[in-house]
Amino acid sequence: MTPLERAEAKFGWKLVTPTILILGLLILYPLMYNVYLSFFDVQLNGYKTFVGFENYIKLLTNTDYYSAIGTTSLYLLGTVVGTTLLGLAMALLLKDPFKGRGLVNAAIMLPYVAPVISVVFGWQFLFDPISGVVNYLFVDALGIWSERTNLIGNPDSALWVVVLFDIWKHAPIAYLLILSKLVSVSRDQYEAAAIDGYGPIGRFFHVTLPELYFVLATVVLLRLIWNLNRFEDVYLLAPNVQTLPIFTYYQAFTGVIDQGLAAATSVIQLAVLSVFIWFYIKKIMKW
Amino acid sequence: MLGKRTLTGRIGFALAILLLVSFSLLPFAQILSTSLKHQYDWGNPSLIPQTINLDAYKELLGLTEAKKVEMPAAIQKILNNPKLPQDKKDAISAKYMSNDNLFPFGKYMLNSVIFSVGAATFSLVFSVMGAYSISRLRFKGQVVIQRSVLFVYMVGGVLLMVPLYQMAMNIGLASSLWGSAFCLFLIYIVQTLPVGMYMLGNYFRGIPFALEEAAMMDGCSRKEAIIKVVLPLSLPMLATVFIYCFIIGWNEYLFASVFLKQYPEFHTLPLALQELFVSKNAIWDRIMAASMLTLAPIVICFLFASRFMKGGKTDGGVKG
Amino acid sequence: MAAITLKNIVKSYDKTQVVKGIDLAIEDGEFVVLVGPSGCGKSTTLRMIAGLEQPTSGDIIIGDRVVNDIEPQDRNIAMVFQNYALYPHKSVKENIVFALRRLKVDNEEIERRLSEISEMLQLEELLERKPADLSGGQRQRVAMGRAIIREADVFLFDEPLSNLDSKLRSHMRTEIGKIHNKFGRTSVYVTHDQVEAMTLADKVVVLHDGYIAQSGTPMEIYLNPTNIFVAQFIGSPSMNIIEGTLFNDYLDIDGYHLPRNQLSNVAYQAPITDSGLKVKVGIRPDFFNDKAFFSETEITFNFTGLTIDLIEPMGFDKEVLFNLAGSSVKARLDLRSDITLGAKIDLLVDLSRVLIFDHKTEQRL
Repeated sequence: MTPLERAEAKFGWKLVTPTILILGLLILYPLMYNVYLSFFDVQLNGYKTFVGFENYIKLLTNTDYYSAIGTTSLYLLGTVVGTTLLGLAMALLLKDPFKGRGLVNAAIMLPYVAPVISVVFGWQFLFDPISGVVNYLFVDALGIWSERTNLIGNPDSALWVVVLFDIWKHAPIAYLLILSKLVSVSRDQYEAAAIDGYGPIGRFFHVTLPELYFVLATVVLLRLIWNLNRFEDVYLLAPNVQTLPIFTYYQAFTGVIDQGLAAATSVIQLAVLSVFIWFYIKKIMKW
Repeated sequence: MLGKRTLTGRIGFALAILLLVSFSLLPFAQILSTSLKHQYDWGNPSLIPQTINLDAYKELLGLTEAKKVEMPAAIQKILNNPKLPQDKKDAISAKYMSNDNLFPFGKYMLNSVIFSVGAATFSLVFSVMGAYSISRLRFKGQVVIQRSVLFVYMVGGVLLMVPLYQMAMNIGLASSLWGSAFCLFLIYIVQTLPVGMYMLGNYFRGIPFALEEAAMMDGCSRKEAIIKVVLPLSLPMLATVFIYCFIIGWNEYLFASVFLKQYPEFHTLPLALQELFVSKNAIWDRIMAASMLTLAPIVICFLFASRFMKGGKTDGGVKG
Repeated sequence: MAAITLKNIVKSYDKTQVVKGIDLAIEDGEFVVLVGPSGCGKSTTLRMIAGLEQPTSGDIIIGDRVVNDIEPQDRNIAMVFQNYALYPHKSVKENIVFALRRLKVDNEEIERRLSEISEMLQLEELLERKPADLSGGQRQRVAMGRAIIREADVFLFDEPLSNLDSKLRSHMRTEIGKIHNKFGRTSVYVTHDQVEAMTLADKVVVLHDGYIAQSGTPMEIYLNPTNIFVAQFIGSPSMNIIEGTLFNDYLDIDGYHLPRNQLSNVAYQAPITDSGLKVKVGIRPDFFNDKAFFSETEITFNFTGLTIDLIEPMGFDKEVLFNLAGSSVKARLDLRSDITLGAKIDLLVDLSRVLIFDHKTEQRL
């Protein structure tokens, strides 16, 4: 290495050091510390006793844990499929310029940027059994349901409300990702397909979809990664829907507090997440 | 133009757009509508209030006169009891008077502003440095750092809540008010730093190397080239990243609840709103007005930032 | 003002060598053009002089300093970039004076130099505009101005004209020549365009695959290329390479016998066997012509009975194609020569311009 290259490397390290320190100390170290904690019985005040694999055994024999895994799976399935499809539909719909597209764009991006805490109240009101418009619509206006129900109060139906909420909030991201790919598909391809006699549907399956294959995979993977950790959107809207993050939160901070058990849950979850992230970095980012 | 030519096509397109926009905006409309309605109007499915009721906003923003609470006769009697020590009397009367300001919205808002603006500022500074380093400078270990940043970017807060809380406990920060606030501040920086680095890293990669080389030919050192050429060029992106980080901090609930739940003094808006919602003082119009006021800064920021997010740009579009 | 010396410069990226040992001496005030096809290492060499890349080994000397360990900003060099690299957020004026402001040159001096340069480059009307509002040619002139105003020791040009259309390119080429004549700074100019190399250079350095293939004045390179690569790279249309056999007395091309004693520049002295030595013969299209356009005193050889396959009128002259020893050979003839397609004609060639190369090494014999 020449002195100039050495100077550049030194400068590079100097600039990145604060970041490394902060991220190392407050993310990488905690992740490892979490593994350590998972072998202890941990009190809220920091008192620990070593228990070996007991937390893991407790966890794997806990039916609530399995039901949380089931809930999480349904949540992931519903949100991934819903977000991707809605995002795709939005991208196809808004692909070509039209008058007022900017405004429509801003409107559909709004759910994504709005604070969860604010919008959950709007949603809770919509589903409110007494005043909510959903019950009004299905019971009074359309007469599909025979009586007003508290959809959010019941964990089974609340799960689907939470799924719908997530789709509403995160479809804009899928939309942006898909749109950015969609606008890069050259017009020639569509025109060539049109001349070859394909109608809109044929063009979608023969031109659009093959081009989008990769970006759709990206969207699915990203949805899995982010939604596996999703906490606020679920907890604040319907605390009775116990996906894994909420399960962990309850273990760690409410009722009979067992932070060691929560740590064990997080360790397993991190392992699964790492597989997704590894896949993302390797296959999508191609690093 | 292919497709969308026939009249039915046009109508279908317009309907689809209308449906989409309604779906996106309905909850917002509901919040706004309910925040402006009188209680008797809540059950009315129409979004337009029969009469506009601004009381909730006035109350939250402290525009109403502090209501003089009439002490019930029984309480008055107790207070008049000469045997009762003065401090007990004060405590009792304070308890009644405190009902005046049920929800100090302004204070919570200030807390939220301090946490999110502060964290976003630090985050921006560190991420400019870090992103420049990993995207522009050549040194060993750069790729490892780059991947690690991407990795931690995707590790969610839930996986960190127990160890971070325990770490704060171990060094004694979690047990004091200022210690907890400090922890939360650091955590907000950590939560936003990888996003900032990711966005800025991508942006810096798009700035032609030749510009910096030209600056160096013009006699600038690397540092001067960054300050005089790269940063001025990146201003829109710096603003976007700042807003993005600000939004993350402003919206955060999980860690605020872990660290600050027991310190109402320092509650941020999300925490305070949730506390309000589960408290006996939950009244829809007040909650909705508070939601609206929490929403407003974000919407304003977003409208500003969206100028730079147009055209399907996805620099920041992956988080969340 | 400064001379530049490159001593055995090598540059590798990871395992691939891009520059494989270059020695070059550039005199004070000289205009040197590095020319070669893409990937030959010319830009890398220029960037190493600038300090934007560091050589893997070897020394770079500017003036009397070895500059290997000196940061680019401290080398007192000005550079014009291929894509101009104007600062998009600064006005034309601020772009040009940026370096002077940094050097804390006083305002009066800045204004004086600015007005001189903007007049010379016709930038007066543009000073307040942003680069985004300029045309390609205007941007190019701003980039020139920014480099000139420094009055640096050395000017570097990295394919400065490659983004301009051909008319503007030849105009700016002339301007660069004028500017160099006026200031007389040591200049290093990288291009893949051999016309720029021929017209601008005091010295042309042809690079090939990380090595210097040949360096010399434009005319030396044109008339006396030392190998087939240089011979074909310089000159348009490029030199014809024809199979031939060299005997002791003559050079055989497709049955034509060119007398050896009249071929100039053949230093090859080794004895040749009876079966002859296979060689490659290089003849520029420009050195063929009709008999009518040669004077009596010139020593020529007459290729008789050639069949013309194609005629391309170019305006001032016309290019014709015919077959010789299995190669399609191009000749550039005077416009007035009356030649018809398919006819048998005689073409004369200037014998002193026929070059002979080794069949395998492709070096001049």
